[in-house]
Amino acid sequence: MKDHILEIKDLHIQFNTDEGVVQALNGIDITLERGKTLGLVGETGAGKTTTALSILRLVPRPPGEVVRGSIILDGIPIMEQSEYEMEKIRGKTVSMIFQDPMTALNPVIKVGEQIAEAISIHQKLSKEKSLAKAREVLELVGIPGNRMQEYPHQFSGGMKQRVIIAIALSCSPKLLIADEPTTALDVTIQAQVLELMKELKQKFHMAMVMISHDLGVVAEVCDDVAIMYAGKIVEQGSLEDVFLRTKHPYTEGLFNSIPNIDDRKAELIPIRGLMSDPYNLPSGCPFFDRCDYAMDICRTEKPVKHSFSDTHFTECHLYTAQPEFSLKSKKTKE
Amino acid sequence: MSKIILEVKNLKKYFDSPKGKLHAVDDVSFAIEKGKTLGVVGESGCGKSTTGRVILRLLEATDGEIFYKGVNIRKLSAAKMRELRREMQIIFQDPFSSLDPRNTVSEIIEEPIILNKLIKNKKQRFERVLELMDLVGLSRRLINTYPHELDGGRRQRIGIARALALNTEFIVCDEPVSALDVSIQAQILNLLKNLQHKLGLTYIFITHDLSVVNHFSDDVAVMYLGKMVEKAPAEELFSHPVHPYTQALLSAIPRPTLDKHEKIILKGEITSPIEPEPICRFANRCRYAEDICRREEPQLETVEGEHEVACHRWRELEG
Repeated sequence: MKDHILEIKDLHIQFNTDEGVVQALNGIDITLERGKTLGLVGETGAGKTTTALSILRLVPRPPGEVVRGSIILDGIPIMEQSEYEMEKIRGKTVSMIFQDPMTALNPVIKVGEQIAEAISIHQKLSKEKSLAKAREVLELVGIPGNRMQEYPHQFSGGMKQRVIIAIALSCSPKLLIADEPTTALDVTIQAQVLELMKELKQKFHMAMVMISHDLGVVAEVCDDVAIMYAGKIVEQGSLEDVFLRTKHPYTEGLFNSIPNIDDRKAELIPIRGLMSDPYNLPSGCPFFDRCDYAMDICRTEKPVKHSFSDTHFTECHLYTAQPEFSLKSKKTKE
Repeated sequence: MSKIILEVKNLKKYFDSPKGKLHAVDDVSFAIEKGKTLGVVGESGCGKSTTGRVILRLLEATDGEIFYKGVNIRKLSAAKMRELRREMQIIFQDPFSSLDPRNTVSEIIEEPIILNKLIKNKKQRFERVLELMDLVGLSRRLINTYPHELDGGRRQRIGIARALALNTEFIVCDEPVSALDVSIQAQILNLLKNLQHKLGLTYIFITHDLSVVNHFSDDVAVMYLGKMVEKAPAEELFSHPVHPYTQALLSAIPRPTLDKHEKIILKGEITSPIEPEPICRFANRCRYAEDICRREEPQLETVEGEHEVACHRWRELEG
């Protein structure tokens, strides 16, 4: 039995709004080994961020409601903790980095103090000791310690994201959740930050859930990938499984939509249509009306999990009837 | 001989800032042939969007010349310029803030037609709106919806329909797909490409996304801190980047494949564009920088054919 830092089972979350019920997560299963990185990929509204927030139990309630399911983080059943217990878990066992470094920092508090705050809360250190530790962490992410006294506006976007990483790592969490951590950054700065994250992950043997819409970023940082669509994980596997032995038509569609930098003549094959209305998900497969392979059964019945190996599974009717089925095309080279 | 539709010579745009002049665009020159796409790439603050706006005179240039169909448009009166804008249009990045939320789809598309008094007959105008909606792939049933009811891809289609409403020949596309999901991004890129073929449009395609620019452009200009540091046909630029910045930029793109490639990780960040010294603006991040780079400003030199680069050491490094 492997040692898991995170186990999510059959998680259903919905948002009850004035306009109706949004089924945000419709049965998510995730297991993550210690020290490993899972990439959560999907488009706007797929449920990536809701999944992440649910691990920290930060889904706003109301309107959010956990319909059923369980989350076990480092052996602790998250759903059963008191709010007081959760405050101790957040920042210590699990930390989160948000997409926008511009708004995640408090503009009127010095950068050093913002890092020290997290340390003093979780490690019960004195102010001086917290600040000293903050300086260490700041230097760890490549910012000179003497910039402790500066305010966020004096930092560039890449530097702010480093500060946020410093805060997230200040209490050596066992799991780091990074929600599009480099999306707001320029590519050369993105490369720096990704490099830093890889380095730190190894150094602290930290597990990570990396949310991204960019398969390129995922290929660089992650061990496993989960492709989300309309509140479901439609395909999950190791990087090799998902990139080289793509099974779900949606995953294939994502690959075909990305311009290939090494082949400028390659035609883009977009996925037609739009994601289904989350207020009104179809009774069958949610990808049905955009899928080139759709069959009659896809309209009426929800697909179930089909495993290809211990690590690789997809939820698609294609493989129930023909386990040997293979998708038409794939632009990425094997 | 193909036809140059737009030519920009020594274009400069400086902004006043409390600390001095901010050199947003500094001595940039290029030309675009009719029906082609020039991609302009670079990181935030490199001056790519400012370049696009200055060309349309949405911002007045500080210095330099802009020739559209042989006419120096910087010298045109406001009235003449307004007339010319029927041909020169822009598509913005954010389809969420660039459309008036209180107008319906048909009102938004119709507005430029009314303002330019192009079609006075109401029924004909309605026909034209429907035609434009078909052209950009917007379902006719959406004609009376409001922007907030639509997703980003559809909103961007409205922006495109609006840009095409007049006798458009030239469009500045300013990050038109950056705010969209990849599957939608591909739809819009294909649409823009088809429209270009169908209508013979000329594009300046401004983006920070190098894979998109490679896919989309005929020629690519790389900008850094207001300067054009390299320009070449897309194929040439991507297979044979010469400027150290272009090389770093290309290597930094996360590729959705499992073959690992070596990355050049740049140290440091873009320096201030305020009153920059006359030296190579990339020198402080460049791994090849030498004394000369910190002493003199490099000028554009021809590498081969249409390939130009501004780097003191390119010959040496190529050899």
